[in-house]
Amino acid sequence: MDCESRQPVRVRYIGVIGFMSRRKLILIAALILAIAGTLVFGNKIRRHIRRMRWENEPIRAWMSVPFIAHTHHVRPDILYQAIRVEPRQHDRRPIRNLARAENRPVADVMHDLEKAIADARQGP
Amino acid sequence: MREQILSALSQYGSPALFGVVTLAAVGIPLPVTLLLIVTGSLVSQGIMSLWWAVGLAGLGSVIGDQVGYAIGRWGGSGLVNRFSRLLGGEERLKRTQAKARHWGGPGVFFSRWLVTPLGPWVNLASGIAGYPWLRFLFWDVLGEFLGVFIFVTIGRVFSDRVLAMDALLGDMSWAIVALLAAVAIGWKLIKS
Repeated sequence: MDCESRQPVRVRYIGVIGFMSRRKLILIAALILAIAGTLVFGNKIRRHIRRMRWENEPIRAWMSVPFIAHTHHVRPDILYQAIRVEPRQHDRRPIRNLARAENRPVADVMHDLEKAIADARQGP
Repeated sequence: MREQILSALSQYGSPALFGVVTLAAVGIPLPVTLLLIVTGSLVSQGIMSLWWAVGLAGLGSVIGDQVGYAIGRWGGSGLVNRFSRLLGGEERLKRTQAKARHWGGPGVFFSRWLVTPLGPWVNLASGIAGYPWLRFLFWDVLGEFLGVFIFVTIGRVFSDRVLAMDALLGDMSWAIVALLAAVAIGWKLIKS
Protein backbone atom coordinates (compact mmCIF):
# COMPACT_ATOMS: atom_id res chain seq x y z
CA MET A 1 0.00 0.00 0.00
CA ASP A 2 2.81 2.32 1.06
CA CYS A 3 4.85 1.41 -2.01
CA GLU A 4 1.92 2.01 -4.34
CA SER A 5 1.26 5.48 -2.90
CA ARG A 6 4.90 6.57 -3.57
CA GLN A 7 5.09 5.23 -7.11
CA PRO A 8 3.12 7.94 -8.97
CA VAL A 9 5.22 10.74 -7.42
CA ARG A 10 8.48 9.17 -8.65
CA VAL A 11 7.04 8.50 -12.07
CA ARG A 12 5.81 12.09 -12.33
CA TYR A 13 9.25 13.44 -11.29
CA ILE A 14 11.09 11.35 -13.90
CA GLY A 15 8.42 12.35 -16.36
CA VAL A 16 9.10 16.06 -15.91
CA ILE A 17 12.85 15.64 -16.52
CA GLY A 18 12.21 13.32 -19.43
CA PHE A 19 9.69 15.76 -20.87
CA MET A 20 12.23 18.62 -20.83
CA SER A 21 13.95 18.92 -24.15
CA ARG A 22 17.74 19.02 -24.39
CA ARG A 23 17.44 22.62 -25.61
CA LYS A 24 15.51 23.64 -22.50
CA LEU A 25 18.10 22.05 -20.20
CA ILE A 26 20.89 23.94 -22.00
CA LEU A 27 18.90 27.19 -21.65
CA ILE A 28 18.43 26.60 -17.90
CA ALA A 29 22.18 25.92 -17.49
CA ALA A 30 22.98 29.10 -19.47
CA LEU A 31 20.53 31.10 -17.33
CA ILE A 32 22.22 29.86 -14.11
CA LEU A 33 25.62 30.78 -15.58
CA ALA A 34 24.44 34.27 -16.60
CA ILE A 35 22.90 34.92 -13.15
CA ALA A 36 26.12 33.70 -11.49
CA GLY A 37 28.12 36.06 -13.75
CA THR A 38 25.89 38.99 -12.81
CA LEU A 39 26.32 38.23 -9.10
CA VAL A 40 30.11 37.79 -9.35
CA PHE A 41 30.64 41.07 -11.25
CA GLY A 42 28.09 42.84 -9.03
CA ASN A 43 30.10 41.79 -5.99
CA LYS A 44 33.32 43.02 -7.64
CA ILE A 45 31.66 46.41 -8.29
CA ARG A 46 30.66 46.62 -4.61
CA ARG A 47 34.28 45.94 -3.58
CA HIS A 48 35.62 48.58 -5.99
CA ILE A 49 33.25 51.19 -4.55
CA ARG A 50 34.35 50.33 -1.01
CA ARG A 51 38.04 50.51 -2.04
CA MET A 52 37.48 53.87 -3.76
CA ARG A 53 36.25 55.30 -0.48
CA TRP A 54 39.08 54.07 1.74
CA GLU A 55 42.17 53.50 -0.37
CA ASN A 56 44.51 55.93 -2.13
CA GLU A 57 45.08 55.84 -5.86
CA PRO A 58 48.28 53.84 -6.49
CA ILE A 59 51.27 55.54 -8.13
CA ARG A 60 52.23 54.15 -11.55
CA ALA A 61 55.33 54.68 -13.71
CA TRP A 62 53.28 56.31 -16.52
CA MET A 63 52.08 59.13 -14.29
CA SER A 64 53.72 62.55 -14.35
CA VAL A 65 54.54 64.43 -11.15
CA PRO A 66 51.72 67.01 -11.64
CA PHE A 67 49.30 64.12 -12.29
CA ILE A 68 50.33 62.37 -9.04
CA ALA A 69 50.09 65.69 -7.19
CA HIS A 70 46.53 66.12 -8.52
CA THR A 71 45.37 62.59 -7.64
CA HIS A 72 46.83 62.80 -4.13
CA HIS A 73 45.90 66.43 -3.41
CA VAL A 74 49.43 67.64 -2.63
CA ARG A 75 51.49 70.47 -4.13
CA PRO A 76 53.72 69.39 -7.08
CA ASP A 77 56.77 71.25 -5.72
CA ILE A 78 56.76 68.99 -2.62
CA LEU A 79 56.98 65.94 -4.87
CA TYR A 80 59.70 67.41 -7.11
CA GLN A 81 61.70 68.24 -3.99
CA ALA A 82 61.28 64.68 -2.68
CA ILE A 83 62.69 63.10 -5.84
CA ARG A 84 65.31 65.86 -6.32
CA VAL A 85 64.18 66.81 -9.85
CA GLU A 86 63.97 70.35 -11.23
CA PRO A 87 60.33 71.18 -12.04
CA ARG A 88 59.43 72.33 -15.57
CA GLN A 89 56.49 74.36 -16.76
CA HIS A 90 53.71 72.08 -18.15
CA ASP A 91 55.76 69.04 -17.17
CA ARG A 92 54.32 65.91 -18.75
CA ARG A 93 57.29 63.58 -18.28
CA PRO A 94 56.25 60.19 -16.85
CA ILE A 95 58.16 59.26 -13.70
CA ARG A 96 59.67 56.32 -15.59
CA ASN A 97 61.48 58.86 -17.81
CA LEU A 98 62.47 60.97 -14.82
CA ALA A 99 63.96 57.91 -13.11
CA ARG A 100 65.85 56.96 -16.27
CA ALA A 101 67.24 60.49 -16.61
CA GLU A 102 68.35 60.40 -12.96
CA ASN A 103 69.81 56.87 -13.28
CA ARG A 104 67.58 55.59 -10.53
CA PRO A 105 65.23 52.59 -10.35
CA VAL A 106 61.57 53.60 -10.88
CA ALA A 107 60.63 51.76 -7.67
CA ASP A 108 62.92 54.09 -5.68
CA VAL A 109 61.35 57.20 -7.18
CA MET A 110 57.86 55.82 -6.49
CA HIS A 111 58.83 55.05 -2.90
CA ASP A 112 60.12 58.62 -2.40
CA LEU A 113 56.90 60.02 -3.82
CA GLU A 114 54.76 57.83 -1.55
CA LYS A 115 56.78 58.93 1.47
CA ALA A 116 56.48 62.61 0.50
CA ILE A 117 52.70 62.24 0.08
CA ALA A 118 52.37 60.55 3.48
CA ASP A 119 54.52 63.29 5.11
CA ALA A 120 52.54 66.08 3.42
CA ARG A 121 49.28 64.58 4.69
CA GLN A 122 50.54 64.31 8.24
CA GLY A 123 51.44 68.01 8.17
CA PRO A 124 54.21 69.82 10.01
CA MET B 1 51.70 47.63 -23.04
CA ARG B 2 49.19 49.45 -20.83
CA GLU B 3 51.98 51.42 -19.13
CA GLN B 4 53.55 52.44 -22.47
CA ILE B 5 50.21 53.60 -23.88
CA LEU B 6 49.46 55.72 -20.82
CA SER B 7 53.01 57.11 -20.81
CA ALA B 8 52.48 58.14 -24.45
CA LEU B 9 49.18 59.85 -23.55
CA SER B 10 50.80 61.61 -20.60
CA GLN B 11 53.72 62.80 -22.74
CA TYR B 12 52.25 63.41 -26.24
CA GLY B 13 48.55 64.00 -25.49
CA SER B 14 46.15 64.20 -28.46
CA PRO B 15 48.13 62.30 -31.18
CA ALA B 16 48.58 59.34 -28.82
CA LEU B 17 44.88 59.47 -27.89
CA PHE B 18 43.81 59.44 -31.55
CA GLY B 19 46.15 56.57 -32.52
CA VAL B 20 45.19 54.32 -29.62
CA VAL B 21 41.40 54.73 -29.90
CA THR B 22 41.57 54.07 -33.66
CA LEU B 23 43.52 50.83 -33.20
CA ALA B 24 41.25 49.74 -30.32
CA ALA B 25 38.12 50.31 -32.43
CA VAL B 26 39.54 48.02 -35.14
CA GLY B 27 39.68 45.27 -32.50
CA ILE B 28 43.19 45.40 -31.05
CA PRO B 29 42.80 44.89 -27.28
CA LEU B 30 44.04 48.19 -25.82
CA PRO B 31 42.96 49.84 -22.56
CA VAL B 32 40.79 52.46 -24.26
CA THR B 33 38.38 53.02 -21.34
CA LEU B 34 41.25 53.83 -18.99
CA LEU B 35 42.77 56.03 -21.69
CA LEU B 36 39.55 58.06 -21.94
CA ILE B 37 39.22 58.34 -18.16
CA VAL B 38 42.83 59.56 -17.88
CA THR B 39 42.07 62.00 -20.72
CA GLY B 40 39.17 63.32 -18.62
CA SER B 41 41.53 63.75 -15.68
CA LEU B 42 43.99 65.66 -17.93
CA VAL B 43 41.09 67.85 -19.09
CA SER B 44 40.17 68.63 -15.48
CA GLN B 45 43.81 69.60 -14.83
CA GLY B 46 43.72 71.99 -17.80
CA ILE B 47 46.28 70.00 -19.81
CA MET B 48 43.83 69.11 -22.62
CA SER B 49 40.73 70.82 -23.98
CA LEU B 50 37.45 68.94 -23.50
CA TRP B 51 36.02 69.43 -27.01
CA TRP B 52 39.32 68.75 -28.73
CA ALA B 53 39.72 65.51 -26.75
CA VAL B 54 36.12 64.37 -27.38
CA GLY B 55 36.29 65.30 -31.09
CA LEU B 56 39.59 63.56 -31.70
CA ALA B 57 38.78 60.40 -29.72
CA GLY B 58 35.31 60.21 -31.32
CA LEU B 59 36.76 60.59 -34.81
CA GLY B 60 39.45 57.97 -34.17
CA SER B 61 36.88 55.49 -32.86
CA VAL B 62 34.57 56.01 -35.85
CA ILE B 63 37.46 55.50 -38.32
CA GLY B 64 38.51 52.29 -36.52
CA ASP B 65 34.92 51.01 -36.54
CA GLN B 66 34.66 51.59 -40.30
CA VAL B 67 37.76 49.42 -40.79
CA GLY B 68 36.15 46.62 -38.72
CA TYR B 69 32.90 46.93 -40.70
CA ALA B 70 34.81 46.89 -44.03
CA ILE B 71 36.71 43.73 -43.03
CA GLY B 72 33.39 42.05 -42.18
CA ARG B 73 31.68 43.26 -45.33
CA TRP B 74 34.30 42.82 -48.00
CA GLY B 75 36.77 40.47 -46.39
CA GLY B 76 34.58 38.36 -44.15
CA SER B 77 31.33 37.96 -46.07
CA GLY B 78 33.03 36.09 -48.92
CA LEU B 79 34.46 33.62 -46.48
CA VAL B 80 31.17 33.27 -44.60
CA ASN B 81 29.23 32.72 -47.83
CA ARG B 82 31.66 30.03 -48.95
CA PHE B 83 31.42 28.26 -45.60
CA SER B 84 27.65 28.53 -45.45
CA ARG B 85 27.38 26.97 -48.94
CA LEU B 86 29.72 24.17 -47.90
CA LEU B 87 27.63 23.47 -44.81
CA GLY B 88 24.36 23.90 -46.64
CA GLY B 89 23.32 26.76 -44.36
CA GLU B 90 22.63 29.54 -46.87
CA GLU B 91 19.01 29.86 -45.70
CA ARG B 92 20.15 30.25 -42.12
CA LEU B 93 22.72 32.88 -43.07
CA LYS B 94 20.05 34.85 -44.94
CA ARG B 95 17.75 34.73 -41.90
CA THR B 96 20.61 35.97 -39.64
CA GLN B 97 21.41 38.77 -42.09
CA ALA B 98 17.76 39.86 -42.08
CA LYS B 99 17.74 39.88 -38.26
CA ALA B 100 20.96 41.91 -38.10
CA ARG B 101 19.50 44.47 -40.52
CA HIS B 102 16.38 44.73 -38.36
CA TRP B 103 18.12 45.02 -34.94
CA GLY B 104 21.44 46.39 -36.17
CA GLY B 105 21.02 50.08 -35.26
CA PRO B 106 20.41 49.78 -31.50
CA GLY B 107 22.99 46.97 -31.38
CA VAL B 108 25.64 49.24 -32.90
CA PHE B 109 24.60 52.18 -30.70
CA PHE B 110 24.67 50.37 -27.33
CA SER B 111 27.87 48.45 -28.05
CA ARG B 112 29.68 51.82 -28.47
CA TRP B 113 29.24 52.89 -24.87
CA LEU B 114 27.18 50.50 -22.74
CA VAL B 115 28.67 47.08 -23.56
CA THR B 116 31.98 48.22 -25.06
CA PRO B 117 33.70 44.78 -25.08
CA LEU B 118 31.26 43.75 -27.82
CA GLY B 119 32.02 46.77 -30.05
CA PRO B 120 34.61 45.27 -32.46
CA TRP B 121 32.49 42.09 -32.82
CA VAL B 122 29.40 44.10 -33.65
CA ASN B 123 31.40 45.97 -36.34
CA LEU B 124 32.46 42.70 -37.95
CA ALA B 125 28.99 41.15 -37.60
CA SER B 126 27.34 44.24 -39.14
CA GLY B 127 29.70 44.04 -42.11
CA ILE B 128 29.18 40.29 -42.56
CA ALA B 129 25.39 40.68 -42.27
CA GLY B 130 25.46 43.41 -44.93
CA TYR B 131 23.91 46.02 -42.64
CA PRO B 132 23.60 49.22 -44.74
CA TRP B 133 26.78 51.28 -44.35
CA LEU B 134 25.11 54.69 -44.01
CA ARG B 135 22.84 53.44 -41.24
CA PHE B 136 25.84 51.79 -39.54
CA LEU B 137 27.76 55.08 -39.79
CA PHE B 138 24.83 57.03 -38.32
CA TRP B 139 24.47 54.80 -35.23
CA ASP B 140 28.24 54.50 -34.92
CA VAL B 141 28.86 58.28 -34.87
CA LEU B 142 26.00 58.77 -32.41
CA GLY B 143 27.18 56.01 -30.07
CA GLU B 144 30.92 56.71 -30.25
CA PHE B 145 30.70 60.43 -29.57
CA LEU B 146 28.25 59.80 -26.72
CA GLY B 147 30.52 57.06 -25.33
CA VAL B 148 33.67 59.18 -25.54
CA PHE B 149 31.84 62.09 -23.89
CA ILE B 150 30.59 59.83 -21.06
CA PHE B 151 34.03 58.31 -20.29
CA VAL B 152 35.88 61.64 -20.54
CA THR B 153 33.26 63.22 -18.25
CA ILE B 154 33.65 60.36 -15.74
CA GLY B 155 37.40 61.04 -15.85
CA ARG B 156 36.80 64.75 -15.22
CA VAL B 157 34.48 64.11 -12.28
CA PHE B 158 36.65 61.38 -10.73
CA SER B 159 39.94 62.90 -11.85
CA ASP B 160 41.74 61.73 -8.69
CA ARG B 161 40.43 58.14 -8.93
CA VAL B 162 41.21 57.11 -12.51
CA LEU B 163 42.55 53.59 -11.87
CA ALA B 164 39.73 52.69 -9.48
CA MET B 165 37.12 54.04 -11.93
CA ASP B 166 38.62 52.00 -14.78
CA ALA B 167 38.43 48.78 -12.73
CA LEU B 168 34.87 49.59 -11.68
CA LEU B 169 33.67 50.38 -15.21
CA GLY B 170 35.33 47.25 -16.63
CA ASP B 171 33.45 45.01 -14.20
CA MET B 172 30.27 47.04 -14.64
CA SER B 173 30.40 46.42 -18.39
CA TRP B 174 30.67 42.64 -17.87
CA ALA B 175 27.91 42.74 -15.22
CA ILE B 176 25.63 44.43 -17.79
CA VAL B 177 26.52 41.81 -20.43
CA ALA B 178 25.74 38.98 -17.95
CA LEU B 179 22.49 40.64 -16.83
CA LEU B 180 21.32 41.19 -20.43
CA ALA B 181 22.16 37.55 -21.22
CA ALA B 182 20.17 36.39 -18.16
CA VAL B 183 17.15 38.49 -19.19
CA ALA B 184 17.31 37.26 -22.81
CA ILE B 185 17.65 33.59 -21.80
CA GLY B 186 14.91 33.95 -19.17
CA TRP B 187 12.60 35.47 -21.78
CA LYS B 188 13.32 32.58 -24.17
CA LEU B 189 12.56 30.06 -21.43
CA ILE B 190 9.24 31.73 -20.60
CA LYS B 191 8.25 31.85 -24.26
CA SER B 192 9.19 28.20 -24.95
